[in-house]
Amino acid sequence: MPEPTTPTRSLRLGVAGPVGTGKSSLIATVCRALAGELRLGVITNDIYTDEDARFLRSAGVLDPERIRAVETGACPHTAIRDDVTANLAAVEQLEADFDPLDVVLVESGGDNLTATFSPALVDAQLFVLDVAGGGDVARKGGPGIGRADLLVVNKIDLAPYVGVDVEQMVADALEAREGRPVLALSRSDEASVQELRAWVLAMLAAHREGTHEPQDPGPMAPHFHADGEEHTHDHDHDHEHPHEHSHA
Amino acid sequence: MPAPSLAPVPAAAPATIAMLLADSRLPAGAHVSSNALEAALRDGLRRGEVGAYLASRQVTVTRVEAGTAVLARHLALTRAPEELATALAGLEAEWAARTPGRAQREITRVLGDGLRRLADVLWPGAIPARSGWPRPVVLGAVAAAAGLPAPELVRLVAYDDAQTVVAALLKLEPGDPRAGAALVLEACAAMEPHVGPLAALQDPALLPSAGAPQTEDWAEAQSALPRRLFRA
Repeated sequence: MPEPTTPTRSLRLGVAGPVGTGKSSLIATVCRALAGELRLGVITNDIYTDEDARFLRSAGVLDPERIRAVETGACPHTAIRDDVTANLAAVEQLEADFDPLDVVLVESGGDNLTATFSPALVDAQLFVLDVAGGGDVARKGGPGIGRADLLVVNKIDLAPYVGVDVEQMVADALEAREGRPVLALSRSDEASVQELRAWVLAMLAAHREGTHEPQDPGPMAPHFHADGEEHTHDHDHDHEHPHEHSHA
Repeated sequence: MPAPSLAPVPAAAPATIAMLLADSRLPAGAHVSSNALEAALRDGLRRGEVGAYLASRQVTVTRVEAGTAVLARHLALTRAPEELATALAGLEAEWAARTPGRAQREITRVLGDGLRRLADVLWPGAIPARSGWPRPVVLGAVAAAAGLPAPELVRLVAYDDAQTVVAALLKLEPGDPRAGAALVLEACAAMEPHVGPLAALQDPALLPSAGAPQTEDWAEAQSALPRRLFRA
């Protein structure tokens, strides 16, 4: 039995970040803002359940059939980075079943600050923090905070209640990211939702024009060895890929 | 991501191929399985009985799996490329007839797809293009392409079956990991008397009919287990 005709390749957009920062809610927000004009699909990764998939289906923002759960076998980190097999199979099946799709959002299982997507699975990725997790988290850095395509500082409407200075947190993030984009988001702040919407559309356009090259945020933050010498591992990476990445 | 176009991989010694394929770090999606251990524990299997569970798997479902892999390897080595898909489909029917549990068949096909995704890059053309080949069929075709002899293929299947259970055990009922490593070797020893006969298989009709209703029932239960850590 031959494989069916290759379905259209969507923009595969990863959403990573620690537990409870609002990844599912952000995906629901993206779906609400874009389902009218784009053909969307969602893959969720949960550790114990398909709770995130069920939350998104119940949110009513997308045809429930277009939301699928991948079980990560106690290894949410592995499933988006070291062994993306199950997720890649799910994305390709979704693309085949609903061909053509414009964007497939892949939600990671909530993990810790070091979990990022492999470029073998997604074309671009968002990393989500929230103000309630502490104003100092952005400053701590890490591969997702430092080098995801977009860093979202979520739940900014809660800032007054948790004593976090949003402007300072965003400034810390911008510094950690050396100018890469940071978005302060609240689903109840329409202007910020529009910014998120515009970012997704711009990324989709860049993906289609071939001007966006998937980047690996890398597993390693800059660190020191016992000999006192700092290095980042980016340097090694550049030797293998000498061309410039051209996206904004 | 489409399979990257890599240069053909260099030939490797059989021992190297066996180590590669047995390594749980192999990106083939197998870490989602506990070989139904999670359902077995929930059903009352005690930690001290895991060794017996492993041994019983070895002489039942694992023999079916290992025999299927050996036969797939044999077909891949002896059939013309244009006949291989049909021959493997015949073998697949023999495997399915000896694997009555729906859940067991389903996860074996999912894991087969995961391994095929890797094989398509490392040994292009080794397995006829199609989704849903059971894992032992893919493994046998890979063994043929990579030069893994039949006895080592049987031992690989035996090792993988045991290590999958033991790795899951460490997450489900944590104990001394060194005791788990000992369990793996005990399980492999249980397979050893069967290595010769299984490695000599050439006729799919002679694949052992070594079903294990309790094991398949746990696989079925696992597929519907609420709040499970493992898919299978």
